Amino acid sequence: MMVAVSEQPIPQPTVQPTAQPIVLDRVSRWYGNVVAVNDISFGVGAGITGLLGPNGAGKSTLLHMLAGLLRPSAGQVLIDGRTAWRDPTIYRRIGLVPEREAVHAFLTGRQFVELAAHLQRLAQPAVAAAAALDTVDLAPAANRPVGTYSKGMRQRIKIAAALVHDPSILLLDEPFNGMDPRQRLHMMDLLRTMAGEGRTILFSSHILEEVERLADGILVIHAGRLAASGDYREIRRLMTDRPHTFRVRSSDDRRLAGAFMAEPAVFGTELSDDRLTIRVSEFSGFTRSVARVARDAGVRLLEVAPTDDSLESVFAYLVSRR
Amino acid sequence: MTNLRPMAAIAIVTARALLGRRRTILMLLLAGAPILLGLLIRLSGRGARPANLEPTLEGLLVSTILPLIALVFGTAALGSELDDGTAVHILTKPIPRWVIVVPKLAVAGGLTAAMLIVSTVLAGVLLGGTASHEIAITIAFAVAIAIGSFVYVAIFLALGVATSRGLVIGLGYALLWEGLLAGALPGTQLLSVREYVRGIISTLAPPGTLTSVVGAQGFVAALVAVVVITALASYRLAVYEVRASE
Repeated sequence: MMVAVSEQPIPQPTVQPTAQPIVLDRVSRWYGNVVAVNDISFGVGAGITGLLGPNGAGKSTLLHMLAGLLRPSAGQVLIDGRTAWRDPTIYRRIGLVPEREAVHAFLTGRQFVELAAHLQRLAQPAVAAAAALDTVDLAPAANRPVGTYSKGMRQRIKIAAALVHDPSILLLDEPFNGMDPRQRLHMMDLLRTMAGEGRTILFSSHILEEVERLADGILVIHAGRLAASGDYREIRRLMTDRPHTFRVRSSDDRRLAGAFMAEPAVFGTELSDDRLTIRVSEFSGFTRSVARVARDAGVRLLEVAPTDDSLESVFAYLVSRR
Repeated sequence: MTNLRPMAAIAIVTARALLGRRRTILMLLLAGAPILLGLLIRLSGRGARPANLEPTLEGLLVSTILPLIALVFGTAALGSELDDGTAVHILTKPIPRWVIVVPKLAVAGGLTAAMLIVSTVLAGVLLGGTASHEIAITIAFAVAIAIGSFVYVAIFLALGVATSRGLVIGLGYALLWEGLLAGALPGTQLLSVREYVRGIISTLAPPGTLTSVVGAQGFVAALVAVVVITALASYRLAVYEVRASE
């Protein structure tokens, strides 16, 4: 997957519609004078991609354009090479789980999913609906009106309806909202399985832990622009203007701290509570030198772990620098 | 043929949405008002009054109740779903937009027509009696009102797609245009559903019942209006954009 940390004023390169099922090519969307999405280009291939951004960043606008529910003010959105806007045939390939909870409350769960199957013109709507209900673990409640469902159940019934036609692309807007931990784990397993089968899954979430656990790659949207895309650990490596922090345990932390202070890439060391923290300017340089420095100092390394390459750290950096 | 199953599914959901709500009870009460009036007149011991039949059916049903019931069902059939977000589950399916609009028009128009046919026939019998002349007038009104139901519903359904204020704008249209302006100015009758309904009545009813500018052309005008407005609503739905949530 592409890895990039883009700078705001630099025009983004045009993405060629290749094998990536989802392609945005210099897409902008504005409402009057308000720019919601600003000149964004990216491609998303098979696997799970997390769409991250603060509230108001433009995530839902982006997902709505991908789902053909909003017209781009500029640029084009392609789904499997077809323009998403005004082409209902894309919905044979797409399954959309919108953020809004609204469903027809008077329908039972089964009727709601069967409605989706009928509208997809599936040969056996009842069979397809039953399979989708099983997939999201809602078969026992399938004959209850959706209006009686909990928030998490509504979320799952929307996912069942989105899956009923076995789409190759799944767009999910905050899919884990309202789910309890067990349901989240079940849904994550399901999405991983679907991604393993070659599907393209793009989901937005404001819960970084979910994205970190699930996504193969991320798209970070901030103030309507693409702040970064790719594997977040790779993105972290590219943040060269921000020191990397490592936690080190060794047979002699104090001596090791002194030894590291002689290394040019080391900004500083901190020894507290039997824990040595080292801040360095370059990730890979440090990982290459750490064993040598310890050996030369006659210290045995017990643990070396980066402490700030979490998605939360990357996200905070990307959002705060703008 | 491939569109029949999606259309049937949409029709069923639309019917349940419209019938399962309090608005249906209110609409039944509204449609029942002419029947209640006829009953009151009968109970007062005055018997059928054929002279009152035509003005009552026209003033109460054609001019007031028909556009109001059509307004409520027409805007609720699709506009409400667009407003509350449930329409997204239908819009994100590989079906042409007219496949969504037509069954909704059929159900909302059919429901409006069904209520008003019953109301017209019962009120007509109670008010005008069962003499053949009065029955002919009543049937003419019932047929014309049924056709008018679909024209009005098409207009209000299209309004519901075009704007989230479809109910208010539709009410303004019904009161101002259909109620006041159309007919007051020369030529405006040609763009008035009420006048199409009057034209159909004047064609079907015994001579001398009503005079109309459009006459039998009311049938054609109503048909053209339904087709054109349905096409416009389908186009509008094809370019429908969800409102920004962030």
